[in-house]
Amino acid sequence: MSDVADPHDALCTWLRAQWQLDPGEHLHVELVGESTAGARRRNLVLEIAGGPRPGRYVATVLPTADIAIVGMADEATVRMVAREHGVPVPEVIGVCTDESVLGGQFFISEFIGGETIPRRLLRLVHEQGIGAKIVGQLGESFARLHAIDPAHAPAAISAPPDPVGGALDAVHTVIDNLLQPEPAFSYALRWLREHRPTEPEQRRIVHADVRTGNIIVDHSGLRSILDWETAKVGDPMEDLAWVCTRMWRFGEDHLTVGGLGTVDTLRDAYVAAGGAWDDHRYHWWRVLVTMRWGTGLAGQAAMHLDGRFSSVVMAASGRRVAEMAYDALMLIDAR
Amino acid sequence: MQYRPDAAELLDAVASLLEADVITSVPPHLQHQVRVAANLCRILERETQLAGTNDDAERVRLSLLLALIGNRDDTNGDDTNGDDRDVRSLRADLVARLDDPAPLDAVVERSVREALLDTLRADLTIAKPGYAAPTGAP
Repeated sequence: MSDVADPHDALCTWLRAQWQLDPGEHLHVELVGESTAGARRRNLVLEIAGGPRPGRYVATVLPTADIAIVGMADEATVRMVAREHGVPVPEVIGVCTDESVLGGQFFISEFIGGETIPRRLLRLVHEQGIGAKIVGQLGESFARLHAIDPAHAPAAISAPPDPVGGALDAVHTVIDNLLQPEPAFSYALRWLREHRPTEPEQRRIVHADVRTGNIIVDHSGLRSILDWETAKVGDPMEDLAWVCTRMWRFGEDHLTVGGLGTVDTLRDAYVAAGGAWDDHRYHWWRVLVTMRWGTGLAGQAAMHLDGRFSSVVMAASGRRVAEMAYDALMLIDAR
Repeated sequence: MQYRPDAAELLDAVASLLEADVITSVPPHLQHQVRVAANLCRILERETQLAGTNDDAERVRLSLLLALIGNRDDTNGDDTNGDDRDVRSLRADLVARLDDPAPLDAVVERSVREALLDTLRADLTIAKPGYAAPTGAP
């Protein structure tokens, strides 16, 4: 990836217009680094001097509009709504859909210090003995997010397919197009159909990718939940299942919730904060999201092989499919 | 027959080079890819040693399983004689049966799951040793 041009001039001009600064007013923007969080999008760390909001910020830049899962403006709206309802999310201070300013749509949010890189994060958490605290904070954050009236969600994410039926259809389509027959996935799909829950009574804004790797933690606990590009209106239990997926534990398998703490702690905090926990749905979503990630890895291998995205990392994903298939089948018996 | 080193020994040599020397010499944005490449060499090293035995075992397992399903489903087809068929076509047959929503009886259901898990455990001894250890809670 090429280095971004010095964002100073274009960004300064844009911020001046946003903040309606007089020509003589001082404003200086300096690029001080690039955050490692986020694989596809660039996170430029900026120091803004002058203007109404001096300080350190992050510009999250989507390189090209065609790979947006949720549009940047919609994601910014979801972030703001979540933040207003007490979910720890960095404050968004501006959204720009003009791709000419930074080479892609972007929004600017406050910089939150702390650790995001999973293994370093887990080391910090266990040195400080704050794993259970963070899991409690996650449970509370999920409850606050899921309490929001979905009417506040942007229209683009408000009318998805039925959460349960749509998720089943999506994995079925992928399984039908695998490069080689994988009976473990067929078995798991069969189980998912036979144990399919009803569509959720209450559809809520879900983040759909909260996990170790998408949170900021410091010695005081959970600071922020990042990367809201997968947000949608769906089944709240999907969020609670995904955060428990084995790969986000980074080897700390006895701590089901992201290598941080236990499901009991998550459930207790969620319920105490008003969330409606449903064991059956939780378990069903655990199997679904595990299998879905397995099919996603198979898809990455296919993208390498057909040339859409040739990369040794994508190729290696094919050798990880067995992990997800194994976990899905073990989960099916784990009740 | 090729002279030594054999495939596993050569892959070990390549992996060692990547792990010990290359990774410290490439720019940061390539280090992850080098790490992954080294790990792939380790996977292939194990694959050259274990895949033959694993595939034979899977072929036997799937043949027995399809025979069991055939008997329980009370079909008359001769497709249960799968000893000389390859793993891929046996897998395809099992997938076809699992995609059929007709119920499986409890014995078959349990046998399918156990057979699939045995195969996945064998695959994981190549792809990620230790992953299927009892301490690894799903």
